[in-house]
Formats: sequence, C-alpha cells, structure tokens
Amino acid sequence: MKVIILNNKEFILPRVERENFIRLMKLGLEYNRDKGTFSINNFDNIKEAIDTISDILNDEVQFLQNCLMCHKDFPCSDCKYTDFCETKNLPFKCVCPQCLTGKKSPQKTLF
Amino acid sequence: MKTNLLWVEKYRPKKISDVVGNELAKTELINWLQSKRHKKKGVLLYGPAGVGKTALVNAASNQFNFSIIEMNASDTRTEKAINKIGKPATSFIALDTFSSERRGNILFLDEVDGVFGRQDRGGIKAIINIIKESLIPVVMAANDVDQQKLRPLKKVCQMIRFQQIRIPLIITTLRKICVAENIQAEFEALERIAQNSLGDMRSAINDLQSIGEGKQFLKLQDTAFLTVRNKDVGMYDTLKGMFSSETIGDSAMVLNRSNVNYDDFLLSFSDNLPLRYRNPTDLATAYDLVSRADMFRGRVGTDNWHLLRYFFNFLAEAATVSPKSYKSFDLIYPPMRIMKLFWTKGKRTNLENICAKISLRCHVSQNTAKTDMIPYIKMMIKKQKSSSIISWLKLEPNDVDFLLKLNDL
Repeated sequence: MKVIILNNKEFILPRVERENFIRLMKLGLEYNRDKGTFSINNFDNIKEAIDTISDILNDEVQFLQNCLMCHKDFPCSDCKYTDFCETKNLPFKCVCPQCLTGKKSPQKTLF
Repeated sequence: MKTNLLWVEKYRPKKISDVVGNELAKTELINWLQSKRHKKKGVLLYGPAGVGKTALVNAASNQFNFSIIEMNASDTRTEKAINKIGKPATSFIALDTFSSERRGNILFLDEVDGVFGRQDRGGIKAIINIIKESLIPVVMAANDVDQQKLRPLKKVCQMIRFQQIRIPLIITTLRKICVAENIQAEFEALERIAQNSLGDMRSAINDLQSIGEGKQFLKLQDTAFLTVRNKDVGMYDTLKGMFSSETIGDSAMVLNRSNVNYDDFLLSFSDNLPLRYRNPTDLATAYDLVSRADMFRGRVGTDNWHLLRYFFNFLAEAATVSPKSYKSFDLIYPPMRIMKLFWTKGKRTNLENICAKISLRCHVSQNTAKTDMIPYIKMMIKKQKSSSIISWLKLEPNDVDFLLKLNDL
C-alpha cells in the first residue's frame, strides 16, 4: 500500500460513488463543481474523513502541513517529532524542518 | 531592566494570531464571538492544560474590544456566588457597548471542571441558568469534559476542542522568547524542553524560564535537571512500553508515567505474559514476580501508597526477565477476566434467577443453592425431564433448558 499525499486546500479524487460523496460532505469536505476539486472545510471529523478518502483511493492518505514561517507545504514524514504529535498527518499549521533548524530568527517571520 | 514577571505572563498573546497552534479552535471561537445569533448561547473550550484556551479568550477579547468578567478555580463558585457575579453581568448590557470602541462584556468561567464538592454546591446548575438567560457571550474552559457532572453543561454549549501544541511550534516559540531575552540557546536544549513538555506550551515556557533566566547561553546539559512530566499513557501503551523495555528502570518509569487502573493493569499484564515469554522458565519467574506485585498491591490498599514502588518494581522486573527475547506481539486487552465476566453476564443472571427460586422454596441462601443444590437438581432433571421437582421449584422451560446446558461458570 503506497502513501498518497494530498494538499487540503485542493485535491482531486477519482469518481466518487454517491454514498461516499454524501459521507464526505457530511464529514466536512467541500466540493468545487467548476474545478472538480475537494477541499476540507470542517476539521471536526477529520480522522473519519481521512479514513474515507483512504478507502476511496485504496491507499494510505496523508495531508500536507503548511509552514508558519516560510508558508511552504510539507508532509509529516519530514518531521522527526511525529511520535510525540497528537495531530500528525492532519492538515494544520506547523513549522517545516528547514525553518525549525535554520538560522532565520522567528522574531521577524513568526507572530 | 530585570522584571519579576513570569515569562508566561510577559509573553502572553495579545492578539489572536499570537496564539500558537489550534487554528481550527481559533477560527471556531472567532466565528462564534462575531456571530450575532448563536445556535448555542455558551461555548466550552476543552483540552489539555497549557494549550492556549485561556490565552485565546484573553487575546480574542483584547482584539474584539470585549471586557472580560472572569471567575476561575481560585474563586468560590457556589450557586450564590456565581449568581452574584454572573447575573448582573449577563442580565444587563453594559453602557460602554454603545460606544464605538467597546463591544461589551464576556463572562469567562475558567476551569469549570473544577466546580465540585460542598464548597461549590449548585455551581453547574447556576452556570447553566446563566447561559440560558445571558445577554452576553459566556465562554468556559475545562480540561476534562468527560465528567458526569458536566453533561448538562455540554448540552447547552458549543464545544470547541483544543489539542496538544506541536513540538516544532513549541520550539519556535521558545526560540522567539530566547531572542527577546538575549539568550543564545542550543537547538537541542530547546528541543529537549519542548519534548519534555508533552505539548504543554505553558510548562515549556516555565521550564525555559527556570533554567534560562539570567543566563547568556543555554546548553543541552542545563536541561538535565528538568523534571519528567506525567503523560496520560493508556493501558495499551503501558503494556507495550513495559514489555519492550530493556532495563527494570525503564520499565518501571513507563508504569510510573501511566494513568492506568493498577488492578486492571495487573490482570492484563498476567494475560499477556504467556505471549511475551515462550521459555517456560522465564514465564515461571515472571509469574512469581507478578504474584509478589499482587501481594504489594493488596498491601497498598487505599492508604499505604509508599508501598506502591515495590508494586512497580516487581512488575517492572517481571516485564524484563529476558529483555533480549522480546519480539513484538499482539497484546491482549482488556483483561480476559473482565471480558469473561462481560460475556457471561447473561448466563450469570439466568443462574441467579434460578438460584433465587430454589432459595425461596428450600429456605437456603442463593449461594448454597448455587453450590450445593444446582448440581443435584441438574442431575435429577437430566435423568427425568418431567421430574416433579421442576414444578415444585416453579422452574420455567427456559430454566430447565438452561440447567441442562449449564457448564461451570
């Protein structure tokens, strides 16, 4: 089973059956008809939503994280603290490993 | 200029964007505060300590020009006390609402899960009444919302969940503080503090202040004296952690950090020993140590907690009889004894009903009926299905079938 990395802002799924589509909508996803893309609108049931997407794609799914400092997207697999993380693979803000260990002062870029 | 302020106060977020992590919770609270018609009149922020619940409320009120009326655990929160402060605050709209700068008041009740006992009698009921009648936003915060007493409160509140802060976010915040305090900190030192905090930003900042204040350099060795924090480690992780430990010390530490019920843990631990040790000699040694641990668990009771270390040590020793032989295995959990009781509940209830009928007829206790009479009645029924004893004991056909199929429970 391979790992599929999705960007929570916009991702495309193969044709989704009616039941699964309804389920995804109930779980807090949003569908853009014009572009044919899904995005996550509500994070309350994010774990169930990820499981459903995994079932649809038949592969493990991970979402990209967005770096608070450089605003780039990166996967959780790049992070060495996942064992301590309660929200791993969930698409929230974080700090990428490059910014974390970099010399750039957080004073100027963060907060 | 050196100030005596705690760094958690000094660097308390002033704006919502300063609150680190939990963006989802932030968005939900902002939306709730900004909307004029709330589906639910109160909002309950919940999650572990030090993740920014109080900080977010303070920052949001700052940003949206609300004045906070706060009651926390240090106040007496009886029905009378809450009504005295909460009722006037929530029943009248403040005059400054009409000025362009202020938007009115927020009633903030911190640590509502701590409202309990005789000293806070009627507190939750008063809070619910205030929420129902309030004209101003009522925000509450709690660590543990699974308590029975908070159920009615949860029904009238919008629940907003906070999660632990991610380690990279904690490290970045600590770096920011170090820059502001002119401390040159090693990355590894900040990493250690962040990992030790277990996602609790407040404790991470307190730890940084305790070892870094007044210093120019902060090195990894300075963090050696940090106390290890207890994390809510569940049964599964405790079992796995203990069995995979290489030394007795490591194994004991895993148990020490866990929040398991020791009696249930002892049962589960015993269930898993045959899977952990394939060698009969190791298994026998482990069981011997578990029996000693059990003995000390009994001695601990509810008073002699100083003996708990012996319980920990014997179990840790049992988990590390032959550390090198460890191979990952599927843990049995919950305890088999508890599961067996669960599975046989229906059967036991049937048996108890039959015993009740026998005890009534034969003037014996239910226990005597179960141990001394049931085996003979079963034999009699087996020999002759239409035995007169059935009608004399007023047993139903279901009871007869049950007795015929009955094995030892």
